[in-house]
Amino acid sequence: MKPHKYTESPVLHLKLDAWRSRAIVVLLMAAMVSLVGRSFYLQVINNDFLQEKGESRYRRDIEVSASRGRITDRNGEVLAISTPMKSIWAIPSDVKLAPDQSRALAQLLDLEQRELNRKLATDRNFVFLQRQIPPDAADRIAALKLPGIHQEKEYRRYYPSGEMTAHIVGFTGVDAKGLEGVELAFQNQLEGKNGSRSVIKDRRGQIVEDVGSIKPPQDGRDIQLALDGKIQYLAFSTLKQTVTDNAAKAGSVVVLDAKSGEVLALANWPTYNPNNRERLSGAQLRNRAVTDTFEPGSTMKPFTAALALEKGKFRFDSLINTAPGKLTIGTATISDAHPHGVLTLAQVIQKSSNVGTAKVAGTFAPKEMWEMFDSVGFGKPPRLGFPGEVGGRLRPYAHWRPIEQATMSYGHGIAVSLVQMARAYSVFATDGELLPLSLTKLPPGPVTGTRIFSPQTVQEVRTMLEMATQPGGTAPKAQVPGYRVAGKTGTAYKIENGVYARKYVASFIGLAPASDPRLVVAVMIDEPSNGRHFGGDVAGPAFSRIMAGALRTLGVPHDAPLNSNLQVAQVVAEPEGM
Amino acid sequence: MRAILDNTRRAPTEVDMLLLWSGLVLLLLGMVMVYSASIATAEGSRFTGHQPAYFLVRHGVFLTVGIVAAVVAFQVPLTAWQQWAPYLFMAGVLLLVVVLIPGLGRDVNGARRWLPLGPVNLQPSELMKLFAVLYAADYTVRKMPHMRDLKKAFLPMAAAMIFVGMLLLKEPDFGAFVVIISIAMGILFLGGLRARLFAVLIVVMLVAFAILIIVSPYRRERIFGFMDPWTDAFGRGYQLSHALIAFGRGELFGVGLGASVEKLFYLPEAHTDFLLAVIAEELGFAGVLLVVALFAVLVQRCFAIGRQCVTLDRLYPALVAMGVGIWLGVQSFINMGVNMGLLPTKGLTLPLMSFGGSGILANCIALAVLLRIDWENRQLMRGGKL
Repeated sequence: MKPHKYTESPVLHLKLDAWRSRAIVVLLMAAMVSLVGRSFYLQVINNDFLQEKGESRYRRDIEVSASRGRITDRNGEVLAISTPMKSIWAIPSDVKLAPDQSRALAQLLDLEQRELNRKLATDRNFVFLQRQIPPDAADRIAALKLPGIHQEKEYRRYYPSGEMTAHIVGFTGVDAKGLEGVELAFQNQLEGKNGSRSVIKDRRGQIVEDVGSIKPPQDGRDIQLALDGKIQYLAFSTLKQTVTDNAAKAGSVVVLDAKSGEVLALANWPTYNPNNRERLSGAQLRNRAVTDTFEPGSTMKPFTAALALEKGKFRFDSLINTAPGKLTIGTATISDAHPHGVLTLAQVIQKSSNVGTAKVAGTFAPKEMWEMFDSVGFGKPPRLGFPGEVGGRLRPYAHWRPIEQATMSYGHGIAVSLVQMARAYSVFATDGELLPLSLTKLPPGPVTGTRIFSPQTVQEVRTMLEMATQPGGTAPKAQVPGYRVAGKTGTAYKIENGVYARKYVASFIGLAPASDPRLVVAVMIDEPSNGRHFGGDVAGPAFSRIMAGALRTLGVPHDAPLNSNLQVAQVVAEPEGM
Repeated sequence: MRAILDNTRRAPTEVDMLLLWSGLVLLLLGMVMVYSASIATAEGSRFTGHQPAYFLVRHGVFLTVGIVAAVVAFQVPLTAWQQWAPYLFMAGVLLLVVVLIPGLGRDVNGARRWLPLGPVNLQPSELMKLFAVLYAADYTVRKMPHMRDLKKAFLPMAAAMIFVGMLLLKEPDFGAFVVIISIAMGILFLGGLRARLFAVLIVVMLVAFAILIIVSPYRRERIFGFMDPWTDAFGRGYQLSHALIAFGRGELFGVGLGASVEKLFYLPEAHTDFLLAVIAEELGFAGVLLVVALFAVLVQRCFAIGRQCVTLDRLYPALVAMGVGIWLGVQSFINMGVNMGLLPTKGLTLPLMSFGGSGILANCIALAVLLRIDWENRQLMRGGKL
């Protein structure tokens, strides 16, 4: 269309061409239609591609942490439990803190402000500011509403009984994996299986909603230990007291159920608080009863006696001449602390004569003696499941020299852990069977062990051990009122740099009630240095207290008159052999 | 054509209800969506004092001010607007100069577009769009007898627009530049400027745009981001890729009001330039269709009212009405096209809907002027006098 030419009138001349406005409207409407088309393409046709792009940006699979199983004692008392905690993390580039906010945050995180700033001054876009802080502190941090500061739920392992059960329970690392003790030994059962959920997160990492299905976490299984909390307390506190009283370096106690092989208590000193493991030393950490070996000394003698009886080479009352309290084998001489003259086999044990024991051992072939040691578990780990269990040292019999065989008969030149020793004594507590040990509570019912000695032999050795705690024995202080106690002292020189030093390991291992043994208690005190060092003086009283308390706790019927302790006062302990 | 016009003329109301309601629906839907789009960012930002309703409250105030201004503007006869037009235009130019003066203009993200006025910021380029309509219409009406004379009709306007355009590019506000040039050119075109000239001009402008885009790295970046947002989806294409994802997530009927994920700190400018993306995600294709349809209705009403003016020989109101139609049509098309990746990203808001006081104010006044034009038409057709 052309402008109108048919008139000169200025009004009519100033007509707007309709085609022009129509053209613009058409253009604009076409634009609008193109928008609708494009929108339809994006939203209805091509939305899969775009949604996929979107999910790759804000859909995240996150772990749902499973809680770790609890560890309880045999009565259900909790020894280790996971409590929910929070971890505080940050996207440093999102964090902009005013000075007062920074101060408040640092305080809630229990950090120096400088340390907080250092952590935030990183190029990474994820940094932990503090892990495992209590939920209430985390809530107060959340209330600050600081940009770029986020939280995550975690579990923290808490050990209610603290240092008392530290060595048996162990502990977990910050990633909730067991590092020591039962926590490590039963890691697979205790650890839960983390679940997962698919979520949409906003750009700041907050979860907006769940998408897809949730895989629920499988919590870890609880572990019920054989441990008896009361007996453990008794063992621990007595041990602590004994180590302190004797100015000793260390000590351990093991309490076994003589019927089942369950470990009812296991304590070491020094120990540590598993809830606060800053400034931990290796000495505190060591589960000595399991990982440390020592030359047991005289506590080995009953095995020599048992073998002698078992092989029919000696009888209970066979006479052995220990005079003059010295015996020279090759170039070495072994001696008794006090010469005794002629003793029966039973008295050799009761009075702990080295000479007598060595003479008995001299009648054995090295092989049969080695086999006996091997059969009661020396020289191989007791397979409790603990990390770092040791087997001790039992040298092959082929290379034994006579003097070595002689010293081994009374516990030198052979090294064992206290747990091995306690377990070996279970042979005398049963009717000659060696029981497998168990850290966990066993179902009721008889436990079958491996027969080592005949019931007859065991009966006789038990009588000898009972004599050792009676007048004329080495450990009257190990007596327990109301119960007949059978046990043996040990006072061994420690080896330092390959030579025997004038340092001692005092021990006592015993069982009670002697008429039908229920418990084996082994006490070992390392380097008592407060004037007394004999096992009967140092470990005996501790044994007595622990055994008495444990028997009472278990409600074991008395098998002796309650006033039997009257004899103790009148009795002077006979010094024992090495 | 006449039949359609007759149809609307026979409506028994005093004002164009279709225009009024589509404008109001856009304003109210805009407020709801601004709230939805801004709630998370407002709560998460220290700048807003962590108040979730920070933008809602301000948008509400802007709407109130805008509607009050619209009521006032409705009282103003078009003859008065025409008289004021040159002064308003000059005032607008002055504001555009002032905003560039360091210390007076306020710098946000490298663009100096705002004048701080106490608690609020004034964006002169938004008001300039309205003034450009009023002035270009006045200019065209005055020059109409000389429309075929290039020197008299075109060059003065071209000079004025080049000056304004340079001020806008200085800010920079490329979006406002495009809109204002479109308004001026459109009104000149409607006024009868030679079509061949336009063909030449369009070619010249395309070349000029191309040069601008090549010279300025800031604009080039935006261009490349728009061509393929997925090659550099976390850099240049970040904003657009998130807008497109929002569209894709919306599907037919949306994820539901308030349920957008993109607005949760992913999509920048969700409550201003990229409001449509949030609408697309939350209300789906249906929501986008509604918004596009309402703008189409607005544009159609502008031109219908304009053509009615023509039949009544009211040239100035006719050009103002159509000018507003071009403004709303072009700006809404560019904004929505940008949101969908049809056009390169530039800083343009969605008229009547996006957050922003100056824009809402200018849009409300423009609608009031349109309603006034229509009202005056109705008075005249009833044989009344203005």
